[in-house]
Amino acid sequence: MSRQDVAADRVLSRTLKLGAYTAFVLILAGLALHHFAAWGGKVAAAGLLVLLATPALRIIVACIQFLHERDFKYALVSFGVLAIVALAYVLGLHT
Amino acid sequence: MTLAAMLLLVAIGFCAGGFGALAGVGGGIIVTPLLAIYFGLPMHQAIGVTLLCVIATSTATSSMYVERHVTDVRLGMTLELATTVGALIAALVAHHINRRTLAVLFACFLLYSAGSMIKKAWDSRNEKREEIIPDYTPQNYPMGMAASLIAGGFSGLLGIGGGPIKVPVMLLFMKVPLRVAAATSNFMIGVTAATSAYVYWGRGDVRVDIAAPLVAGVFAGSLLGARISPKIRPVYILMLLVTIAGWLAAQMIYKLFAGGFQ
Repeated sequence: MSRQDVAADRVLSRTLKLGAYTAFVLILAGLALHHFAAWGGKVAAAGLLVLLATPALRIIVACIQFLHERDFKYALVSFGVLAIVALAYVLGLHT
Repeated sequence: MTLAAMLLLVAIGFCAGGFGALAGVGGGIIVTPLLAIYFGLPMHQAIGVTLLCVIATSTATSSMYVERHVTDVRLGMTLELATTVGALIAALVAHHINRRTLAVLFACFLLYSAGSMIKKAWDSRNEKREEIIPDYTPQNYPMGMAASLIAGGFSGLLGIGGGPIKVPVMLLFMKVPLRVAAATSNFMIGVTAATSAYVYWGRGDVRVDIAAPLVAGVFAGSLLGARISPKIRPVYILMLLVTIAGWLAAQMIYKLFAGGFQ
């Protein structure tokens, strides 16, 4: 069985929930404000950025957990995924 | 954008997110063609916006799956090494592919997805829910990595999650139980879609005015869908999705022959 222990799953699940709800609230607020003030669009965009950042945050959390469990093989795998995602971010800004 | 258009986008997102959570199929496949056919969005922009919906579905639903301990985080992370590379390459290449070619590829993928959903509905006729997950060790990593690379490529190219490619491979070749395969695929989709979304976002192919109401709808739909999913048989939702996917594929093919998607 290669599944993670219960406590680690809980931390990961909370990270995902935090990102999802923060993005959701910001987007809803932005959409509502948009009809009264022009900067409402910026709030909604901030919500979308939180949504975009959540998967990256999720990898970082998993990486830290693997280090904590002294599972260096999977910490390295997580770091590799993070590096590819970061490369996508950098290349995205320069194409 | 008018209030009516905004509410319509919220409703589309709500259906996509709800169907995704209820049927275990990413709702992304219905969003891209709807935007391209009925909102007149260029394919690249429709795909960019859909990627955000895919991340929203994955984030909202996988938090629940992880909590129920059906996600294999180690397996997911390993396969992500391949999906993200595929997604990155495809997202960079997608920019140089013309809209009509993308539309043809997408129509083909819609038909493939409809086929795989029919199979899924057929298989789930008298399937008992696996209450206890059997012990397993993932097998055949090379096959899994190769499939993940391809799934990631399709994700970056067409803005989809790639579940219909990854789940069968995990099930058949890697010998992972179905529930674990579905939850792990869903968990991976967020990271894969984010990789391509960064490229689309940086290039300006993600329109905030369209993405924001859609994503709000997706969140609401997938949270509600995940809550009521134990009470609803996925067969009916799958048949509804097959109908919608078939209709949208027919519309795309019709529009292609009429010289659309220029």
